[in-house]
Formats: sequence, C-alpha cells, structure tokens
Amino acid sequence: MLAYVIRRLLLLIPTAAGMVVITFSLLLLIPGDPAAVLLGQEASQADIANLRATLGLDLPWGTQLARYVGALLQGDMGRSLFQNESVSSIIGARIGATAELAVAALVIAIVIGVSLGVLAAMRQGTKVDTALMLLAQLGVSMPVYWLGILLMLAFSVKLGWLPAIGRGEPLGSAVWAALSGQPAVLADSIAHLLLPAFALGVNSAAIISRLVRTSMIEVLQEDFVRTAYAKGLRRTRVMVRHALRNALLPVISIIGLRFGLLLGGGVLTETIFGWPGLGQLTIAAISQRDLPLVQGIVLCFAMMFALVNLLVDLSYSLVDPRVRMA
Amino acid sequence: MIKRRLLAAAFLVLSVPLIPMGVQAQVQTVRVGVDVDAGTLDPRLARDTSAYRATDLIYDGLVRLSPDLKPEPNLAQSWQNPDPKTWIFKLRDGVTFHDGSPLTADDVVFTYQTLLKPELNAPLRSLFTPIAKVEATDPKTVVFTLSSPYAPLLTYLEMGIVSKKAVEGGADIGLKPIGTGPMKLARWNRGSRMVLEPNPNYWAGVSKLKELQLVVISDNTARAQAFEAKDLDLIQSPLSPQDIKRLQANAQFGNAVTSGLGITYLNFNTGEATLADPKLRRALAMLVDQKTIVGDIYQGVDREASSILLPSSWAFSANIKQPTFDVAGAKKAIEALGWRMAGNVYTKDGKKLSVVLSTHSEDPNRVQSVEFMQSIFQQAGVEATVRVTDWPAFSANYVQKSQHQVALLGWLNIVDPDRLMYGQFHSKGTLNWSKYNNPALDKLLDEGREALDINLRKTAYGKAAQIIADDLPYYVLSYQGYQMFYSKALGTVKPNPRGYLRDVIAFQKK
Repeated sequence: MLAYVIRRLLLLIPTAAGMVVITFSLLLLIPGDPAAVLLGQEASQADIANLRATLGLDLPWGTQLARYVGALLQGDMGRSLFQNESVSSIIGARIGATAELAVAALVIAIVIGVSLGVLAAMRQGTKVDTALMLLAQLGVSMPVYWLGILLMLAFSVKLGWLPAIGRGEPLGSAVWAALSGQPAVLADSIAHLLLPAFALGVNSAAIISRLVRTSMIEVLQEDFVRTAYAKGLRRTRVMVRHALRNALLPVISIIGLRFGLLLGGGVLTETIFGWPGLGQLTIAAISQRDLPLVQGIVLCFAMMFALVNLLVDLSYSLVDPRVRMA
Repeated sequence: MIKRRLLAAAFLVLSVPLIPMGVQAQVQTVRVGVDVDAGTLDPRLARDTSAYRATDLIYDGLVRLSPDLKPEPNLAQSWQNPDPKTWIFKLRDGVTFHDGSPLTADDVVFTYQTLLKPELNAPLRSLFTPIAKVEATDPKTVVFTLSSPYAPLLTYLEMGIVSKKAVEGGADIGLKPIGTGPMKLARWNRGSRMVLEPNPNYWAGVSKLKELQLVVISDNTARAQAFEAKDLDLIQSPLSPQDIKRLQANAQFGNAVTSGLGITYLNFNTGEATLADPKLRRALAMLVDQKTIVGDIYQGVDREASSILLPSSWAFSANIKQPTFDVAGAKKAIEALGWRMAGNVYTKDGKKLSVVLSTHSEDPNRVQSVEFMQSIFQQAGVEATVRVTDWPAFSANYVQKSQHQVALLGWLNIVDPDRLMYGQFHSKGTLNWSKYNNPALDKLLDEGREALDINLRKTAYGKAAQIIADDLPYYVLSYQGYQMFYSKALGTVKPNPRGYLRDVIAFQKK
C-alpha cells in the first residue's frame, strides 16, 4: 500500500513537468503582449520594449522556459505581473476559499444526490421517480451562471434571507469562534457559503442522483438483498446497510472526478458571488496575460486534481476489499 | 507669468465649508462595489480604475481638478511660472504622512524623479517626459524645469505624492500605502475587499465615516444585484444598460449621472490604401448610425459625440461637428470618388470596396455596435467584415501595430485635450495608430501644448478639433456617460466623472 502511494506520488513529477511545458508554450502562443497590457494604451512603444526586456519576454521560448523551471525547482513560482506580489502568496491567500467552496458544494451534491437517487430507486417507475429524474435533467442542464443569478435574485434581493456576495470568516476559524462563544461568526460564514455552494453543487447533485438511482436499481435485484429481506430485516435497514453501501462503489469514482471539476469549475460561481478564490483570479490573470500567475494557477489545479484522483483510488481499497493496491 | 497666490488663498478659506456634507451622520460604513481589485496602491504605478479611486483617497497630489477639469491648489498652496519652462510650487504647511512624518519638497522631488525612471515602468511615464529636472530649492518649494513648454503638466500633477522615507526604507507602498490623503488603508483582502479608515490628522478635516470599503464583484449584473440586496451602498460605472434601467425604476435608490472623461471612437487607419482618402473616410462615417448605437445599444447611457472635445472640458465647443448619419449622402460621396455599384458592392478598377470593422470581445456593447455597423455598410454597398478578439490581442497586436482598417475602441481619463490629441494625431505622437500626418494640425497641437493662457489653448484645440472632424482619423461615436446609484441613507451624493469618492467620505471640520 505504502509503495503504491509513493509510486503514485512520484508520478506527479512527470505530470507536473508536462503541465508546465504545455501551459508555458500555450501562453506564449496566445497573441497579446503582457508588457503592453501592463503599461496600458498610453505607453510609448519604447517603454513597452523596455518592460519586455525587464521581464525577459524578449528572450527565446526555450530560455524563458528554462528560467521558469529553474526558479520553480527552487520553490519560486515567480511574481505576478499585475499584482505586485509573489504567485505563491497570491495563490496561498485564495486556495483556502476555493477549497472551502468546492468541499461545501461537494457535500451538498452528495447529500442531495444520494438522497434523491435512493428515493428514485425505491420508487422506480412511479410518478415520484419521473419527477425526480426530470429535476435531475434540469439540474444537469442548468448553467451555473444563470442559476447563480437566479438564486441571488430570489434569496438575497427578494427575500433578503442570505447575503448576495462575499465570504464570511474562513470556515475553520468560524468554527473555532463558535466554540469560543461566538456562534454568530459561524452563522455568518455559513450564510455566505450557502448560495454559492448550492449553485456550484446542483449540477453534481443531479449527476450523482442519476448514478445512485441506476446503481441502486441494479443492486436491489441482487441475491443478497433478497436474502436480507428473507431474514426479515426492515426495508430501511436493507436499503441503507445492504443496498446503498454496495451501490455507492461506482459513485465514489464519479465523486472524485466531480470534486476536481468543482475545484476548477468554481470560476463562474466565484465571479458571480464575489467569492475571493482562485476562480476569479484565473479569469483576470488570463485576460491580463499575467503569464506567471496563469502558469501558477494551472499548475496548482493540476496538482490538486491529481491528488484527488489518488485519494479516490485509495478509497476504493477501503470500501471494496476486492481491490488490491500493488 | 501666472500668479495664483490670491486664488489659492481664496480657495483655502472656502474649501473646508464647501466640501459637500453629503453623508448623513448615522452612516458609519460605506460599501462601494467595484469591478476589479486594485493591482497596486502605489499612485505612480496605478493602472486600473480601482487603483485610481483608492489612491485618490489615500494620497494627495500637488493639485486637484475641479469639476470642469481646472487644476486647483491641493498639496501645493500656490504656483507660478517665471517663464514657460519653469514651474515653481509652494507646499502647504502642516501636512503629514500617515506614518506621522512631515511632507517636504523632497517627497515631491522623489515621487517625480522615480516616476520618470524607465526601470519603474510607470504606465503614465510618457505624460511626464517633458520634465527635464525637478528639484527642491527649500523644504517647501519644488521647481520643475521642462525641456519645452508643456501646459497640460499642471493637470497631470494631481498624481499622489509618495513618502520618500518610506519607499527608500524598503516599504512596499503598493501593498501598504503611506500617503497624506484623507483615508488610510486598514485591511486589504486581495481580490475581495479593501477597507479604508479616516486619517485622523488630515489637513482639511477628518471624515465622519468609520470605514469605506471597496468590494470587488467583477460581474456587472451580480454587482447590481448585490446592491439591490443591500450588500452594497454605492455602485458606479461600468454598469450594464439593462441593470441601469431596472435600478432607475427603483425609488429606494439615488441615481446620479454625469458625463465621464472617456470617449468611444472609430479609429480609421489613414495609412491604409483604401482609407487614405479623407473623402472616403467621411463617406464611411456617414454610414455610422450614431443615434441607434448610442440610444439603443448603449440605451442612452452615453451621449452622441459631435467632436473630439469633451463636453465636460473647458475646451468644448458645440460649433464643431463631425459628419452625421446619411446613407444617401454617403453613397453619393462614394460614387463621386469613382466607385460603381456592381451587384451589391461598390467596385473600382476591378477591386471591391471592403473594410474590416474590428473591436474587442470584453465589451458586448462594442461587439454589437460593430455588427450593427456591418449590416448598414453592407446594405449601402460596402463589403464589411467583422473581426473580434480579446483586448490584449486586439489592442497590442493589431491596432497599436496599425494593422487595422476601422477599429472601435475608447480612451479614458481625458483630463486635458492634449491627452486625447497630441500622442494620437501629431506626426511625432507615440499613439498615432491612425498614421495621420498633417503639418497644420501638428502646429496647432504644439501651440495648445505650449501656451499657458487657457484662452489661447482653447482656440488652438478648437481649430484642431475642426480639422479632425473634417479629416476623420478618428470618428468619435460617443461621450461616455458616468452612472452612480447609491442608498438613500447616504443622503445626496454628487457624482464624479471618474468615480472618485471624496464626496462620499464627507469631512468634519478639524
């Protein structure tokens, strides 16, 4: 098991190297000069050329790449061209917000997705099943952008129940504050988190509910379920202890994939809800041609995606003893 | 020689009571929605609207601009020109930086000397290059010596003065600014929220507010909704026309409109074979349905432009007129140049009359405008194609390299007519992407730049604007409007053409 984990972790190195080379080349291929964007329309061509030289943008592609990789190996991701800060501190300041949103969205997606999936499977073929699957269809096809604006309109503008934008205290410190007698801080954090997490999680909830339904229906026809009923167990017990546990196996892999997508897919959600995570930053960095920052963010997302996949693979062996890691 | 001492004294006496008391006493925190986070809070390096708005509160410049863009005393109490190439500024007494150190002439000298150094990479460096030397003759006097007379300089000296001691001591004022302005930075959660609090030692009085927050929400509609949900107290341009209509219909909110300091214009590449003839440029300009673009696409947020001079400027004249929409007239003019209709398109010597209309994808209204122009051009017999790319590719790699034919884009911060004309149309101009060259215009632009008498400048720019309206290296589509919505709890808030927030923070007499 340990050897497997180490081997997978070592595999991250070539993955990262590939990502760096591909992103670096793509970024240099996009037309648009960061120096010109940085200095704005009123800068003279001489000033732009001077800045290009300062930033090393006039060097050949290979030299630029070599410099970048050299610095990266020493743990230096470079400085953002536009934000006057190191890429690592910018990403460090925001990654928590993005992860918090992605985890919250995933929790919402799993809770809603699994409950509705199980319900639909139990009522297979009835009107409830049809209604739930219609709902799932809607959830899959609804763009997060539109849903976000709609949720904001309903719960913030019209009803005034939840804040429309921004983030409260980070959840970790909010829980700490609640434990030390300030529950309002936690309530505020959760209130800020609900709308964006729901908007982001709906799509995954819909996909998970479909998958759980299909998987449950298959499992419910298995012999061991019939045996469980024959033993005189109650329906809920059969459903939860016997059927659901087995039906969740294929769901785990999709949950891992969805988590990766939620991490990266928060871009629009973050933009709409003013959530101070990596998503908003990504859009700004690309449109400004902030090459070191884009590079850093892509690398960071790629590594997170790879790690999540590793965790998913490891979790198989925990849930299903037939899977061996070797 | 201009003596400003009397005027300065009068301003000092009047300034404190005249500062609008817009904010009612009970409002403690004002949350302002902005579309981008400031890239830096170093005024020398500011390049986005949020950085301009924040540094305007954190720092003071030598001068401030009045609503009609005339420079007024600020950190400089008075100034004089012993000759057109020398500007002498006397600094106000008793001004301190946020760290308690006093403002001296050395800080002013340091600010401008470092700004001019190419290695600082200041975006607006080119506006200040006529400064040959800046020196302190005593702790309260700064002398600027210019390489040639340069009247617009005074307007540009509104830029914030930084603390020499702090910067040389290694402080990163981009992140932890130290200015002399009425507000100072309390907290800054990058990308999300910047919190400013009053400077208790501000020389012109202390703000009544407890905090002013700049809250970043990049999506226009989401920002408008956050305002409607009362998560924000004030939002301002850029706003989507659809949101503006909805907010205007809501009696809970105050709305203020003023003309901004920007234009949206068509850049005609006069160096390109088809467009080299001014008569053809005039004909094409007559195919631009300015009224529909401004009224329907921009929904009346902007104003139809008549010339390159801004209505908010002292140089404005309503008598200068560009061509207006007239399809029949345009076709007649095209035919007079020897083009003949073959099928649906004008041709001459076997060549079709065709133009590429370009703009950038970030602004959907501009994309729509270009597509609308395309349909009218084609109906009139001009083959038109549309080219839309994102801003960096459009601006740096296309228009700035004069590879365009007709490009739709804009200029902002036009605080002086020189800033919209010299670089853009002078044969020596560094922003002359139209490749326009006209010795008569060069002469007028030199005059406007060198004359210190505002009436002489006004005459020169009036004549220059007439030449531009006739020759059309630019066709100015609209004067950008500036919109602000605010919670009525703030009282009445006066709009500022650049979205500057000094009126919002309201002072108490010290």
